[in-house]
Amino acid sequence: MIRPGLTFKLSVLLACIGVLASGATGYYAYRANRAMLVNEAGRSLLTSTELLGQRFSVAIDDVGADALVLAGMPSSGEVAQTDDGLGENAARERLAQVYSSFMVHHPDYLQIRLITRQHYGLELIRFDRDADGLVRVEGNRLQEKGQFAYIFDTLAFSPGRLYASPISVNHEYDAHAAEGKPTLRLGTPVANAKGAVVGVVVIDVDLAGMLKRLQSDLPSDYQVYLANEWGDFLVHPDGSKTFGFDKGRRVLMQDSFAVTKPLFEQSQSEVLVNGLTYPRQAAEQVLAFVRRPFGASEGNRFIVLGLAKPLEDVLSDANLLGNRIIRMVLVFSALAVLLAILFARALTKPLHILAYAATHLFAEHAMETLPLKRTDEIGVLARCFDRLRREIKSQMDVLHNKQTELVHLATHDGLTGLPNRMLFMQKLENAIEEATRRQEGLAVLFVDLDRFKQINDQFGHSVGDKVLVVVARRLKQVLCTADVVARLGGDEFIVLIEGPRAVEAAPAIASRIMNTLNEELLMDGQNMAVGASIGISQFPDDSGTAEELLLNADAAMYAAKSGGRCAYLRYHDLLEARRLEQLEQARAQASEGATQGHEAEPMA
Amino acid sequence: MPFALRHAVFRASPALLIIAVFCCGLLSAAPVAAGEKVLRVLAWPGYADADVVRNFEARYKARVEVTMVDSDEALWAQMHAKGTPPFDVLAANAAEIERYTRANLLAPLDLASLPNTKRQLPRFQALSLIEGLTSAGKVYGIPFTYSSMGLIYDRKQIAVAPRSMLELWNPRYRGKVLDFNSAQHNFSFTALALGYTHPFELNAVQMRLIAHKLIALRRNLLTYYTLPEEATAFFIQHKVALMFGNYGTQQVELLRRAGADVGYVIPDEGVLAWLDCWAMTRSASDRPLALAWIDYMLEPEVSGLLPQRQGLANTLTAPVDNNDNARIVWIGPVEDIQRREELWTRIVSGDRSERF
Repeated sequence: MIRPGLTFKLSVLLACIGVLASGATGYYAYRANRAMLVNEAGRSLLTSTELLGQRFSVAIDDVGADALVLAGMPSSGEVAQTDDGLGENAARERLAQVYSSFMVHHPDYLQIRLITRQHYGLELIRFDRDADGLVRVEGNRLQEKGQFAYIFDTLAFSPGRLYASPISVNHEYDAHAAEGKPTLRLGTPVANAKGAVVGVVVIDVDLAGMLKRLQSDLPSDYQVYLANEWGDFLVHPDGSKTFGFDKGRRVLMQDSFAVTKPLFEQSQSEVLVNGLTYPRQAAEQVLAFVRRPFGASEGNRFIVLGLAKPLEDVLSDANLLGNRIIRMVLVFSALAVLLAILFARALTKPLHILAYAATHLFAEHAMETLPLKRTDEIGVLARCFDRLRREIKSQMDVLHNKQTELVHLATHDGLTGLPNRMLFMQKLENAIEEATRRQEGLAVLFVDLDRFKQINDQFGHSVGDKVLVVVARRLKQVLCTADVVARLGGDEFIVLIEGPRAVEAAPAIASRIMNTLNEELLMDGQNMAVGASIGISQFPDDSGTAEELLLNADAAMYAAKSGGRCAYLRYHDLLEARRLEQLEQARAQASEGATQGHEAEPMA
Repeated sequence: MPFALRHAVFRASPALLIIAVFCCGLLSAAPVAAGEKVLRVLAWPGYADADVVRNFEARYKARVEVTMVDSDEALWAQMHAKGTPPFDVLAANAAEIERYTRANLLAPLDLASLPNTKRQLPRFQALSLIEGLTSAGKVYGIPFTYSSMGLIYDRKQIAVAPRSMLELWNPRYRGKVLDFNSAQHNFSFTALALGYTHPFELNAVQMRLIAHKLIALRRNLLTYYTLPEEATAFFIQHKVALMFGNYGTQQVELLRRAGADVGYVIPDEGVLAWLDCWAMTRSASDRPLALAWIDYMLEPEVSGLLPQRQGLANTLTAPVDNNDNARIVWIGPVEDIQRREELWTRIVSGDRSERF
């Protein structure tokens, strides 16, 4: 069979190309989708961070506005200038009521204080907060705060301006809920009627509480980072990393996230980084950082806010799509395999047909399917092959005919078309074998024309030849088709009669032959009769071999011819006659002289 | 054609390789964290600079976690902090070493493992003569650096060098004075300034008196500082005239570098001085590494950084300007740290004198 390997190899190759193409397409689609999702998440994260930063700024501004409102109360200046915190002071108490309502309405405020420049920065009005609610600190529990930067720095400001402290942990003694809390202090000067700064209003903001409120609507998987202007973490998912400066081991944002360095160098205001593109800078996360100035413009204070979202959450959709892509790739790969097989088969089918035609060169059915009408190379190949095959076939046919002719010439007589001696002998031998097997007899009739020599001499060889042809035709006419007539040469013919009753029928056939040959024939306007002498030998009585049968028939014919014209003689009869003759001779020799001139001749 | 095809099939094999590579690319190798030695160090600013730490880490293939403290109180708090891994080595003054030894927090040191102690000046090798470093014949601290805690003043504002700590109370300098935020030293130097003979052994009356004195000091202050850098910033920005130099010469160096024209005086009544020593905690997990750190601190290249970068003396070379006349009072263990701290927190927070 034609190599099945070619189809297989071609199928594998095409399938590989198909699988590779669909796999690569799927893979790049997956990657592109991941990158897109991460970028999208980054942008939205940055927006959230900016929003959070904006809210933070707004919230701080609101606190600042509250401080300004309190500092701007008409009695503030008067109280700050004249009060000593002890004893009755109606103006102070009225102010205190306002302070208390501010405290009530702003849960993020840890403390609101009015502090005078005099008495070493004594607190005049102070509201704290504890677990039970508001705490008013009065009398000699009020403290002197002049030694704190948020006081002496704010006192140096002109009225209407805002001071924002660095964000630090409150370690002041007796500060109630504020103690130990990350605190941002906003202060503003209080001026008297003449515009001189006589005190300050300070609001302590619970930074953690405020941030918690600001980030309350952020998705729960967001992580919040907050650093002060030096990079110390103030908010970090890992609480132990916050306020490191207060614990002796600073943990800086620019060390934890190297990408934030430009924010602290103030060369950039926002940074976005994702762990997909920069796995070293944002491990498994998408990070957005925003630098946000706060507290008006004093002191160049800023914070850096950061939001982080786990890459895993961002990519969950991509993984979903990835699974789908994998399924799609598998389907397309299967399709590619199928198509590859079909295509390879379609491509190799004409090759198979050609190969089949080549191996069955002379089978017509193999030629019917040749793709002769194709216009491509395979069509050309098929047509060339077909032409080649036709040429070979015609030449083979010629050769075959010639061979048949040669065989015919070798076994037949050229003149009469009858089998020659060689073919006859073969047939005779075959017939003997057959007769032996069937236990039947057969007869050989040796026919010799009587007057052929005279006709030849009288009318020429061409007439003689014509006579021979006629004789042959007549012989065939009187014989059954099963009987064989052959020309041995010259005017000698031989007939083989087979069949169960061949021996019995032989004399009758010989007689029919003699009759037909004795009939006159017209040749070139001349009437002539050839006549024939016939010798019959029989199998198995006369001989068992073809050669001997022929010789015996010949001998019988010779005896018949010498006995007189137009006669036939069986070899068996000849032998009988000879035996009688020998008996006669022996008797004659015994009585020589007694009787002479006795005649005995076999007769048909 | 079959040949061409066969070639094509062979040529397709690299494509299969590419697929294989794709598949491999999808699998990422997870890094394996190796078990790493960690040394936790509790130190003061300037004792374990980043480059010094890096060298040690490289030499001993270990990671060093340095936690900075800015006061003895912070040091004590760190040593007793819960929820954090214990420290292996710490730097504290001799008095604190004694306190920690008494509290059974320190492990005795084997001097044979500290060959660099042989390089130290003889008076720092005579450990038994230094109060607080030995207990029951065992050594618990190795001297590292020392300084007096004198007065630092701005030569531009104060023409004549002050001669007593009492200058801090001078109303002329109101709002221009800086004090160090530490309970023990404030009580001690005030006691010294008031002429008390035992500044570390104060009775209740003295304590109350000093508390009032310290409130008076507070009212004269600009503010308190904890870190030398912080003090320098206040000094420059707010034109400070005078300050108690807790970090001593280290601070003078820093201020001069920041451009301040400052003088450093040791008051007539005597000056407190600290001798900071390295010690190993009982909880040190890798003691050879802890000892290696202490020995490393005494190497000339490391100890040499103290005068070079910090303006501090080290224990290997004698300082040039040795003032022999000065009355040096080495910090000793105080009578009741808790009481001092309790009072101090209230003083710093602004409680008025009436409440004491």
